[in-house]
Amino acid sequence: MTVLSVRDLRVRYSAKGPEILKGIDFDVQGDDFMAMIGPSGAGKSTLIRCINRLVEPTSGSINLLGQDVISLKARELRMLRRDVGMIFQEFNLINRMSVMDNVLSGRLGYTGNLRSLFRHFPKRDIDQALYFLDRVGLSDHINKRADELSGGQRQRVGIARALMQQPKILLLDEPTSALDPKISREVMALIRSIALELGVPALCNIHDVQLAKEFCNRIIGLQDGIKKFDGETSTLRDSDLEDIYAMEVL
Amino acid sequence: MTIAQSYSVALTRQVDMRRSRQIKLVLGWGVFLLFAAWCANGTIIEDTDWSRIGGRSGVLASVGRYISLDIGLLPELIIPTIETFMMACVGTVLGCFFSLPVAWLGAANVTPSKRILYPLGRFLMVLSRSVHEIVWALIFVSAVGLGALPGILAIAMRSVGFISKITAEAIENIDAKPVEAIRAVGGNDFQVMYYGILPQIYPVVLATVIFEWDINIRRSAVMGLVGAGGLGLLFFRQMNSFNYGGVTMVILAILMLIILGEVISHYLRKAVI
Repeated sequence: MTVLSVRDLRVRYSAKGPEILKGIDFDVQGDDFMAMIGPSGAGKSTLIRCINRLVEPTSGSINLLGQDVISLKARELRMLRRDVGMIFQEFNLINRMSVMDNVLSGRLGYTGNLRSLFRHFPKRDIDQALYFLDRVGLSDHINKRADELSGGQRQRVGIARALMQQPKILLLDEPTSALDPKISREVMALIRSIALELGVPALCNIHDVQLAKEFCNRIIGLQDGIKKFDGETSTLRDSDLEDIYAMEVL
Repeated sequence: MTIAQSYSVALTRQVDMRRSRQIKLVLGWGVFLLFAAWCANGTIIEDTDWSRIGGRSGVLASVGRYISLDIGLLPELIIPTIETFMMACVGTVLGCFFSLPVAWLGAANVTPSKRILYPLGRFLMVLSRSVHEIVWALIFVSAVGLGALPGILAIAMRSVGFISKITAEAIENIDAKPVEAIRAVGGNDFQVMYYGILPQIYPVVLATVIFEWDINIRRSAVMGLVGAGGLGLLFFRQMNSFNYGGVTMVILAILMLIILGEVISHYLRKAVI
């Protein structure tokens, strides 16, 4: 089943600026754990942010979970975003809040303003948060401030926050780039196993081709806003990689 | 050109350059001193009524009148001192409330409209600061009458400029990443502000508010001069009745209050930062 389908997606940040994405098409199926690889500046982050409209596309169409994302009004968009779990390169945690509050903030889309004001989340949410914190291995750090944790631990908070949304799809924007190789592998393995467990598809921007090959069943290669490769991981050849990374100056 | 020649050319150039710099320096100081002398002549020498000052003993006697304290005034000092303190507190709190919308309008990255409301926010900040607290007090005394209320309003208005300016700048300097995360989970504008922005700015804002409160104690001490309550009013009365010892008593009370404010704000600031 197709969960996400993107057609002829184009983005410019300003009317006169360069085109960042130049007509991208691809689909994500319900059981995909898909990698998006490509050199820095290829447009990977822009593309993934178009899907929940953190970046406004200039033209094209995005169909996510049966909804036409681009035509959604503000309120409908917030409703849709609740179903999209996002994990960020720099974790994007609220540093001055506790780990618990950060994880609970994943429920904000379901929480009224008055409850938000007093951080009075329902008991059910707190119960869930405890479960997910245990699942990502942070049970001992629940009441610490987010900025007291190490990089790997912070990304685990980010994962737990995304899981709190009970997402129907995961968007991962370079989830391991800020981590060392060993932790990167652990974090990828954790995300992968959770995605399988919940039966949720994922789209993952990733710099490290090795990690992409190891964890993802399908790969899209992006170069300078153009799709250069789209296929099963096993079909990715070295010549394809050379093509994708051809413009990168080492 | 030999090495010796080029060396001597460089030397002359260097000496000339230094000399012209020295001349400019001497000229600059000369102009500055002449200007200062002209100012002093205009404001002090010509503008002072020298004949009324009298002799050295006359000046000392005038100052001396302030030294004999009027201890009997002590019971009358208590209520105005408390009133001054409370005017500062309430005025600061009210000022914070007024500052919120102004900071929101005047922060470039969150303002609802960059073309109309942003300049308005910035204008309000300047307006608040460019009008002196005594002038604000005069305005409010004529608007709501005598007493502590006009003083509180004046202090609140005067506080808005500084608090909202610092808050707006803190908002402009936030890290956009947590904001992005809250938007991504489906948070609304209020939640983005409360979870994404507020935790980042509150230490700065709190420190600023404490600082402003500290200043407001000083401000509220003079509010009474124009009829807006507190110690200033008592000060004014002592001055009018030529009770110089009483004037000193009021000044001492203000001093105590300010020291108290200083101590409290020191510990408060330590607690938040």
